[in-house]
Amino acid sequence: MQKIIYAVLLTQNSLEVVNSFLTTIKGMLNQDLYSITCNGICAVVGSIKKDDLIGGRPQIIEYANVIEKLAWEFTLLPMRYGSVMDSDDSIRNMLKRNEKEIVQNLKKVENKNEFGLKIFYDFDKLKSELNERLEDVTENKLKIGTAKKNSAYKDYVLMKLKEHRDEELVLHFINKPISEIKEYLVRLNAITKFKKMLNPTNMIDVVFLLDKSKKGELVELVKNLQNKYTRLNFVLTGPWPPYNFVRISIKQ
Amino acid sequence: MHDNIIERSKDISILELLDRVLNKGVILSGDIVISVADIDLVYLGVRLMLSSVETMEQLKHVELTD
Repeated sequence: MQKIIYAVLLTQNSLEVVNSFLTTIKGMLNQDLYSITCNGICAVVGSIKKDDLIGGRPQIIEYANVIEKLAWEFTLLPMRYGSVMDSDDSIRNMLKRNEKEIVQNLKKVENKNEFGLKIFYDFDKLKSELNERLEDVTENKLKIGTAKKNSAYKDYVLMKLKEHRDEELVLHFINKPISEIKEYLVRLNAITKFKKMLNPTNMIDVVFLLDKSKKGELVELVKNLQNKYTRLNFVLTGPWPPYNFVRISIKQ
Repeated sequence: MHDNIIERSKDISILELLDRVLNKGVILSGDIVISVADIDLVYLGVRLMLSSVETMEQLKHVELTD
């Protein structure tokens, strides 16, 4: 049997609390969980056969559930699925070798949750709706342009100008909610990672680390934005363990 | 309409979860040895083997050896 590591926890003086909690939950395939400690940190570990890791989605979800339950109670660094070592001693040594980096990362995420916000929209629909506002002006301009027969070159230039203007309209529109979200997250000292315009239907993907106490305010903000920008679809996920804010690759 | 939104939100949540558990979190460097159909021994980094759900599904019937 191998040892699978679910997470590394900041225990400080609460190791007894951790151990007591571990008796109330089960690991993958109903295995018992236990802790392996090193000073103020501990790894939450269970036994597993290597081939049990390759079961697909149900196993991954079981693994994630354990991490989530731990995250409700303790500050932790979630391990990536498949973090397996040969023995308790190997894990203990790994903790010793990487203690400084692990503690630094744990302090960074202490009392914080990760959230994800995706904003979806239909590019073509939004473009045509925004276009309607300017349709009269455009139509008039085009009529003036087409009073005399346009050359192919002129038609091409007009078409390109229109495409460019459409894109600018949409970009201008979606920058408003993005600015509002950014402003709010800065105010709350959230650590954020933005990805804008990933594809034509997902205009923004942001993950951020926020104080646990700010969850209610965040939900309110997203509700308000949804009411204000009805053409957009806001999807807030979380609270997550801090998967996206763990910058650490540890040596065995 | 409301049911659709709930279903879509569930799908997004599952995808978000799988993406996080398989692609984020603390990386433990190391290698694992897998035997494909008892013929070849393939050495893969743990990260590579577990990098996507599709890969997991493909490897479902692959026998692992120590």
